[in-house]
Amino acid sequence: MIENIQAALVMLTSWKLLLTITLCSIFGLFVGAVPGLTATMAAALLVPFTFFMDPLPALVSIVTMSAMAIFAGDIPAALVRIPGTPSSAAYTDDSYELTKQGKAELVLGVDVICSAIGGLMGAVILMTAAPLLAEVALTFTSFEYFWLAALGLSATVMIASISPLKAGLALLVGLLFSTVGVDITLGYPRFTFGITELLNGVDFIPAMIGLFGVSEILRNMASAHLKYPITAVKAENIFRGVAETLWKYKANMARSGLLGTFIGVLPGAGADIAAWIAYAVSRRFSKEPEKFGKGSIESIVDAGTANNSCLAGDWVPALVFGIPGDSITAIVIGVLYMKGLRPGPMIFQEQPQLVYAVYVSFIIANILMVPFGYLAIKVSSTMLRVPRNILMSAILMFCIVGSFAINNSLFDVGIMLAMGILGYFFEANGIPVAPIVLGMVLGPIVEQNFMVSMIKTRWDLTQFFTRPTAAILAVLAILTWLAPVYPILFRRFARSASPA
Amino acid sequence: MKISDAVVGAGFVAAGALIFTGTLGYPTLEAGHPGPSLFPRILGSLMAVFGGLLSLQGLRARDVTDEVAWLRLHKNPAFINALVVLAGVLAYIFLVEHLGFLIMGALVIFTLMWRLQVRPLKAAVVAIVFNALVHFLFAKVLRVPLPLGILWW
Repeated sequence: MIENIQAALVMLTSWKLLLTITLCSIFGLFVGAVPGLTATMAAALLVPFTFFMDPLPALVSIVTMSAMAIFAGDIPAALVRIPGTPSSAAYTDDSYELTKQGKAELVLGVDVICSAIGGLMGAVILMTAAPLLAEVALTFTSFEYFWLAALGLSATVMIASISPLKAGLALLVGLLFSTVGVDITLGYPRFTFGITELLNGVDFIPAMIGLFGVSEILRNMASAHLKYPITAVKAENIFRGVAETLWKYKANMARSGLLGTFIGVLPGAGADIAAWIAYAVSRRFSKEPEKFGKGSIESIVDAGTANNSCLAGDWVPALVFGIPGDSITAIVIGVLYMKGLRPGPMIFQEQPQLVYAVYVSFIIANILMVPFGYLAIKVSSTMLRVPRNILMSAILMFCIVGSFAINNSLFDVGIMLAMGILGYFFEANGIPVAPIVLGMVLGPIVEQNFMVSMIKTRWDLTQFFTRPTAAILAVLAILTWLAPVYPILFRRFARSASPA
Repeated sequence: MKISDAVVGAGFVAAGALIFTGTLGYPTLEAGHPGPSLFPRILGSLMAVFGGLLSLQGLRARDVTDEVAWLRLHKNPAFINALVVLAGVLAYIFLVEHLGFLIMGALVIFTLMWRLQVRPLKAAVVAIVFNALVHFLFAKVLRVPLPLGILWW
C-alpha cells in the first residue's frame, strides 16, 4: 500500500498535475463562493475539459474542485447569509448571526479548518473501506449487482428527499431516459422516434450540463442583476481562537466526520444531506440547543465537518460498485465510462494507480484547503462582487460549447436545452433533480444485470433470493422499499399497546 | 413555475400511460418472454402510480398553489429572461453552422447580457472578448471543431 501511495505522490507532483490541481482549486473556490453556482454544476462544466485529459488528471481535478467548492460555500453563508452551495445551507443562519455579533473571522476560520479535517477523515475512511469492500465485491455476480443497484435506487428515494414520492418520480424519469436507444437483449431501438442520434441513447454529459447548469441559469434569471449587501470583513487573523473552539468540540468533529462519511457511502445522499443530518444530531446532543439557529458555533463545527467528509465517502460506492454516492460521483462514473474504464472491484486490481491517485488527491486537496481557503476568504468580497448578469451569460456559453464538444454534435446542445427546461420545472415544483442523474447511471446496471440473470437462468426468479449475498441484499432492498409503511405500523402498535 | 401537485401528478400519470402504450409493439424474446419492453413497462406503470399518488396527495392537501400568474406572464421579467435564454440557445443551434461560432456565440451572450441590464457598450465588448477566448480555448487548444460558418478563422 505504501509503495502505491508513494507512486501516486510521484505522479501527482509532476508540474502539469500541480498546475491542474491549482487551477481546479481556484475554480472550485470561485464556484463555491459565488451563490447560484454549485459544486455539481462545476463538475458538469469540468467534464468537457476532462474529456481531453488522461483519466488520472481528470479524476484529480474533480476531487480537488469539489472539495474546495464545498468549503467555499461557507463563505457567502457567513458574509451575505446566502449559502454558496446547498451543502452550506444547514448552518447559514448560524454563520450569519455570528457575523452580526462581530465574530465573522472566527466563523470563517472554523469553516476552513473543519472542512479540511472533515475531508481528511473522509479520505482516511475511503482508503480503508474501499479496498476491503472491493474484495467482497469481487465475488458478486449479476444477481448481486442487480440488488445492489436496486438498493442504490431505493436509498436515493428514501434518504435523499423530503418527499419520497417526488424523488421517486425524478428517479423514474432518469431510468426512462436510460432506456432510450438500442436495447441490450434484441438490439431493438426504444423511444428513438426515428432520430439516428438517439440510437446510442441520451448522452449523459449534455444531460448533466442541462440539468445542473442551464436549469441553474434559468433559476438565476430572476435575480441576476441584483447585488447583495456585503458585510465587510477584515479577515486579518481568521485563525485566532479557532484552536480552542475546535478543542472544545473535538468529540463533535469526530462524530460528524464519521457520520458524514457514512452518509456519503449511502448511494444518492450527498454533502447537503450530510450537513443537515449532522446539524440535527448536533442539536440533539448539544448542551446549548437553544443557541441553534441563533449563532451556534457548535453547529458550524458539526455540519462543516460532515459535508466535507461526505465527499470522500461518496467515492466508496462509486469506485467499488460503480454506484454513485451523490450527483458529483455520478458525473465521475460518467467520466470513467467515457474513458473506457468500468468502475467496480476490478479497477482496484487493473488500475490501482488511479484509485490511489484519488486517495492522495483527497489528502492533498484538504491540506491545500487551509492556505487556499485563507486566500479565498481574503478576496471573498471581490468574488461576491463579480457581476452575476455577466457571469450567468458567460456560463451559458460554456454550457453550450461544453455540450457540443463531447460528440461535436448540435443535437447534444438541444438535449442540454431540453434537460435545462426539465430541471428548472422540476426544481420549481419541489422535485429534486439529482435522482434523474442517478437513474440515468443506474438504469443500465439494473436492467442489464436483471436481463442477463434472467436469460442465464431461463427465467428462474428464485435465483435472486437463493444466493446468500444476493439474499442479504434483497432483504435490505425490500426493507428500504417498506420504509414508508413503518410509521403507520409503529402508530398502530403504539395505539394497541397503550391502555384504552 | 410552481403549479399544483395535483396537476403535476396528473401529468406523470399521462406520461406513464404514454410510455406503456409506446412499448406495445416491441418484439418479445423466444417463448414469449418479455424483452425490450419489460423495463420501460415497469417504469411507465410505476410512474403512473406515483403520479396518481402525488395527485391524490395534492388534492387532499388542497394544494391549489398556482404561483404562475398565467395572464400576467408576459409582464414577468424573470419569465421573459428565461425565454431569452431559450430563444438564444435555439437560435444558436439553428444558425451557428451558417454564421459560425464567433458571430453566433457573441450574439447570444450579448443579447442575454443586454437583457440582464448590462450597458450595451460594455455588453458588446465583454461578449466579443469572452467569446474569442472561448473560441481560442476550445477550437485551438482543445481542437473542438466549432462551426466556422462564414468566417475563416
